[in-house]
Amino acid sequence: MPPRPYSLVNRLVVGLGLLSVVLSAVAAVALDALFRRNALEARYDVLDAQVIALIATADLDPSGNLAPATLAEARLATPGSGLYAEIRASDGSVTWRSPSTTGSGLALEARPAVGLRQTERVSLSDGTRVLAQSLGVSWETGDGPARTFFLSAAESLEPYYEEVARVRLWLAAGAGLLMLALVTALSLGLRWGLQPLRRLEREIAEVEQGGRELLGAGWPRELSGVTTNLNALLAGERTRLARYRTTLGNLAHSLKTPIAALKAIASSADPGTRSQVEPPLERMQSIVEHQLRRAVLAGAGSTVAAVSVAGPLQDLLGALRKVYRDKSVACELEVPPTLAYPMETGDLLELAGNLLDNAFKYCRARVVLRARSRERADWRRPGLEIEVLDDGPGIPASDRQRVLERGVRVDESVDGQGIGLASARDVAAAYGGSVEVDGGPLGGARVRVLLPGR
Amino acid sequence: MRVLVLEDEPALREHLARRLRDSGFVVDEAADGVEGEYAGLEFPLDVAIVDLGLPGRPGLDVIRAWRTAGRAFPILILTARDRWQEKVEALQAGADDYVTKPFQFEEVAARLQALLRRSGGWSQPVLRSGDLELDTAAQQVRVEGRAVELTAFEYRLLEYLMLRAGQVVSKAELTEKLYEQDFERDSNVIEVFVGRLRRKLDPEGRLQPIETLRGRGYRVARD
Repeated sequence: MPPRPYSLVNRLVVGLGLLSVVLSAVAAVALDALFRRNALEARYDVLDAQVIALIATADLDPSGNLAPATLAEARLATPGSGLYAEIRASDGSVTWRSPSTTGSGLALEARPAVGLRQTERVSLSDGTRVLAQSLGVSWETGDGPARTFFLSAAESLEPYYEEVARVRLWLAAGAGLLMLALVTALSLGLRWGLQPLRRLEREIAEVEQGGRELLGAGWPRELSGVTTNLNALLAGERTRLARYRTTLGNLAHSLKTPIAALKAIASSADPGTRSQVEPPLERMQSIVEHQLRRAVLAGAGSTVAAVSVAGPLQDLLGALRKVYRDKSVACELEVPPTLAYPMETGDLLELAGNLLDNAFKYCRARVVLRARSRERADWRRPGLEIEVLDDGPGIPASDRQRVLERGVRVDESVDGQGIGLASARDVAAAYGGSVEVDGGPLGGARVRVLLPGR
Repeated sequence: MRVLVLEDEPALREHLARRLRDSGFVVDEAADGVEGEYAGLEFPLDVAIVDLGLPGRPGLDVIRAWRTAGRAFPILILTARDRWQEKVEALQAGADDYVTKPFQFEEVAARLQALLRRSGGWSQPVLRSGDLELDTAAQQVRVEGRAVELTAFEYRLLEYLMLRAGQVVSKAELTEKLYEQDFERDSNVIEVFVGRLRRKLDPEGRLQPIETLRGRGYRVARD
């Protein structure tokens, strides 16, 4: 058996689930990048402001070093505060450093051209990562040529990294939750969306088992075409079957009556004519009986409704009691009242009628008719077993196989067990079932019919 | 015995009617359901043979109509379709037995005899009244174990009286059931036949098997 394809729901959930994972991940990465850019820009603005403040307050001291007169920012005065400032001469020598740099090991190297900014990332001696921004400034001196200085401000990046880590955690959690929510909503939505398909599957199964004749109404637009056509197909099949069987029944009737008339006429003819006419008449009769009887069987189609077994069997028993009124037969009917099997009632009567008629005909005083449901691992639904026993002479073991064959009559004088059994076998065969004959506990024949569950 | 043959196929109906008349039945024939239903309602039938596939009105409906109207005579159905469902339906509708087409006349005759016996309340083929014994299967009559030779008409007369054993049977009923309709009905003829029958059955006048009830008819005692 080829591997069963994945279900539609699973395909859609997996496919859309993967898409939602990718989308959530892309969104998280983009948000992360956006946040970092904004956070860094805010830091550049802070550093820029510090550099501008330095320019505003700086002045050349007598030794020619540029240094701010006052410190606008208290953090610059506190060692290890995380905010640093420094002024370097064009040769790179430091002319001033904020007190906060004390012991930090800050070493900046940027030498931007005058009027330009240059950023750099350096590490302090304790490993703290620092972001620095330097501005090249040309400083007018009173007497000599203008001198170039580099004014720098730097800030620890550790709070930034901490914030980035925190934001990433939130983003990851958010994206995870989003994925989960999406997949859940998807599978619920799909289940809801595909509900009509499940209903269709269930109703088709019910039609198959005979629980319903047609599919119900009220289908979504996408399915209504399929269900309408399916119903038309089912109804068409049923009508065709009924018409076919009526035609065959009429054919049987209209052939048998003339045959009966011919036989009647032949029976009053002279012996020579009789012996010539009767054999072909007998053959016509047996062909009509055998072939047409088989043709009118409904058999196990896909649309046979489940029928109650007990009711028709009771009717049959009542009818046979009437026919065999003189015989005073004790007949036990052992059928659970709720027993049902997907079978045409006519076929059930045909099957049981032939068996029961034989039993009544050949029994001495007792007949048992038993029907029960039978389970088997390879059947989707329970099968039906019908058992008929009598206390008559029984069928010799050597004849048991033979009596099931068409036209073989163990007792040629009356229309013997053979014809009934063969008819019962035809019905059973139409449902894929089997007929067995043996000796039963009542001493006579026991016929068992097993019709499979489908 | 008066029997209705309700069958639409002319050859078959005529054959059945002829063979039944030969066996001593008074036969009414009908070829369609409507005509047949009328015959069953209007004629004093003892038994009816009904084909289920009839023009005019289905055999099943005819049977139901008779039973609804209270007609209790036994009904033998002829069926060509030979489906048990049809037989069960017909038997439920009020038929009493069935014969499947095509059939041998002897089978039909045997079933008719059995139905008539049953409707007379006899479950065995041999009817007994005192020392009088009538074997419906062999059509033989014995008195005190000794076979008595009867003509066909005498036999039918005795059979009718014995099937109705315990009941009073009027001369008019006997005329109606033992003669074809168009025969002249003269109750004196019945008296003559009963007299002859008595002499054959009971030459010494010891047993008196057939009782005469003046002004009412005859009766055979039921054991």
